[in-house]
Amino acid sequence: MPAGWHHGASRVTTSLTDIAPPPVPEKGLDVWFVGSRSALFWLALKSGFWTVLTLGFYRFWMKTRLRRWYWSSIRPGGHPLEYVGDPWEKLLGFFIAVVILTFYIGIVNLLLMFVSFSLFQSSFVGYFASFLGVIPVWFYAQYRARRYVLARTRWRGVRFGLEKGAWGYAWRALVHWLITICSLGLLWPRMTFWLEKYKTDRTYFGSAKLVQGGRWPMLYRAAIPFAVAVLMSGLIVVWLVWLDPLIPNSANPFGDIFSELESAEEFGFAPFGWDRPMRLLLLIPASVLLIYGAVHYRFVTKRILADHKHSDGVRLHSSLNGLRVSMIYVLGTTIAYSILVVGLLAIVLLVFGLLGPEAFLDEQLGMGDPLGDFPKWLAIGIIAVSYLSLFLFWGVLHHVFVTFPLMRHMALTLSLHNVAGLAQVSQRARDEFAEAEGFAEALDLGAAI
Amino acid sequence: MTTPPNLPEASDGLSGNGRVYSGLNSSYFDGDAPVSHAVTLLVDNVAQVLEIGLPGSAQPGVRWPVDEIRQLDDTAGSEGVILRWTGDPLARLHLADPDLLRHLPHLNRRAPPKGRGRLAAWALAAVAGVAIQIGILVPLLADRLATFVPPAGERALGEATFEQIREALADTGLPPLNTCDNEDGLAALEAMLTGLGVERGTEDAVKVFVLDHEMVNAFALPGGYVVFFRGMIDAAISPNEIAAVMAHEVGHVENRDPTRHALRSAGSIGILGLLFGDFAGGAAVLFLTEQLISASYSQGAESGADEYAYVALEDAEVSPAALGDMFERLRDKYGDTDGIVSHFVSHPTLTSRIDRSRAVVREGAQYGDIISADDWDALKAVCD
Repeated sequence: MPAGWHHGASRVTTSLTDIAPPPVPEKGLDVWFVGSRSALFWLALKSGFWTVLTLGFYRFWMKTRLRRWYWSSIRPGGHPLEYVGDPWEKLLGFFIAVVILTFYIGIVNLLLMFVSFSLFQSSFVGYFASFLGVIPVWFYAQYRARRYVLARTRWRGVRFGLEKGAWGYAWRALVHWLITICSLGLLWPRMTFWLEKYKTDRTYFGSAKLVQGGRWPMLYRAAIPFAVAVLMSGLIVVWLVWLDPLIPNSANPFGDIFSELESAEEFGFAPFGWDRPMRLLLLIPASVLLIYGAVHYRFVTKRILADHKHSDGVRLHSSLNGLRVSMIYVLGTTIAYSILVVGLLAIVLLVFGLLGPEAFLDEQLGMGDPLGDFPKWLAIGIIAVSYLSLFLFWGVLHHVFVTFPLMRHMALTLSLHNVAGLAQVSQRARDEFAEAEGFAEALDLGAAI
Repeated sequence: MTTPPNLPEASDGLSGNGRVYSGLNSSYFDGDAPVSHAVTLLVDNVAQVLEIGLPGSAQPGVRWPVDEIRQLDDTAGSEGVILRWTGDPLARLHLADPDLLRHLPHLNRRAPPKGRGRLAAWALAAVAGVAIQIGILVPLLADRLATFVPPAGERALGEATFEQIREALADTGLPPLNTCDNEDGLAALEAMLTGLGVERGTEDAVKVFVLDHEMVNAFALPGGYVVFFRGMIDAAISPNEIAAVMAHEVGHVENRDPTRHALRSAGSIGILGLLFGDFAGGAAVLFLTEQLISASYSQGAESGADEYAYVALEDAEVSPAALGDMFERLRDKYGDTDGIVSHFVSHPTLTSRIDRSRAVVREGAQYGDIISADDWDALKAVCD
């Protein structure tokens, strides 16, 4: 893999003298990726450590540093992207979002809970309603966060930007989700396309406006593996339950399958009444295919959409490989999550060991009282530290095994065709954006670096 | 760029007061067009500036004071660095030749954060907002609203919570924990309630249960549920101590503390969720903080329930000191190290509560037992 930025520069001139040939317009630019996994590992570990040590305050710095690193790895035409976001402005944005959201969430949750107690006699309805109420804010925050990140991204000294329009995005997203749910997912590509178009058509690079071309049915191609997986799972279920039942003459096939599965686990063999239970193993490839289909859809739609993005005199092209991305995604996530699960189990054991099994119960009764005595505090401290360290390590692994290879693949497979238009681009004004990505941070949307 | 041949510096790249560096593979971006400019690089040691010449470009070169040049942090890759000048937020020099860096003394100096006053103001506003919300607004609103929850709603909520607790206490896979139903024992509890002057026989009346579990504890739930653990009855040496705890829990019911508590947690847990973000899954931190909050705001409720208990005990001609006796024995038995046993034992103000219960005893008053010795024996056997 080539490194450095010699490539783009050397096309223009390599001479120190004043007699340089006139600049040749570039025909196309490849995107390079120069970062190494070990450098990322240490950066993520170091900044994650500070985050734990500062009870989470350093996370604004951590996010900034990781973004700087990732951005500078991605080098269209050999010139790195630059992330100029500032951790202090993120902190400020977070405070602003807390001030605004505290009142909304506190009072609204309490009222919802009151209504839920009074009318439905349970807290579930209240929690559900408060979840529903946050969804529009969630979309709003998502768009705002994208606007902030684009406004703080530069390439070759020129700013990217996203126009205002977060509420417009929020209500469109709600309507699209409603349509998608009502159509049982058949119109999902339509949602993917229109939401992406909304964002792309408001994206700028300097003075150049980006346009999302194409039509939404073109995304159905990307959904083929998922559709096949759904069809296959459906056929297996129909076969096992109705056509050639696993448990003949059963009135309630599903209930029985589960109870007998349990006894099969306990006794190590399937009890009588099962008709060729090995057929259940077919569900394993079906679910693997479902996961593959979902990841394939998510990333291949990105490729198709990228191929149809253009600006005046510049065109994007992506040759992303769906299978490769799915492998990265599944393997990386498996590694990161299996560490997480093993660690969580260890911590649960630690809780039992230090506090006894009643700890969980006391919590439910709402009568736990950590101020009571010192050793319990100490035990809670130990548990808290191990819990935080576990999440830190999980985050680091996620960066190293999921985000890094995904980003690298996406960068390397992307290229700019016909970049004659770049010469016409000029700088755009700074988007001040006081609240940065505060809302997304407060609502826990910041998962993707 | 002609230098006299007799000057030895010439071979070293020195010209006059300056030193020329190779601009090969380096490029300059002016911060306006995304076009890479080839550069010539010269460090002027006298004027202390870096001269960036732009050959082949219509623009004149730029001069950056060497002590105002900074390097971008956290740049991936090992080749080359990116430089900026503090006087121009947009222009960038992508430098391939690291030799030049030794002339730049303050590459990593940081600027102080901008707008510190504004940041402090918002930080204060955020802290104050959360404090007001959790400390004042949510409790006030919860207290108001708790009185408007219809009794039927409270009962259903209490019943559901009671079921959850019984299931949580039972081992996995087993049916919910049994309530004790020895008739004589329950009759003794009834006698105790009547003795304390608690309203009986209506739909809203207090419902008392004993759970067959060794934990030394008792609690109240919305809808008038008062629940004892068997361990509590085993630990008491006189029925008056049980009566005292009962009066305390009935005090919670009368003050609608359980319902308020449920509403308060609903209001404050969402706010806390905001603060911690996703840096650690948030859940565990929430879990701990919520504990702190419920512990701290239950203090007022605890003393309120204590006050209720003193009056009820006094009216029933039972010494209010019984509550203090019960607390004290629990504290002595479990000490301060085994704090998880019950909230009575580990409560920070326990000693003052013990003293308080003794202080309300009237001098020279004649106190009796809440129930007969036979009833007390029956109550002790309620789970047999």
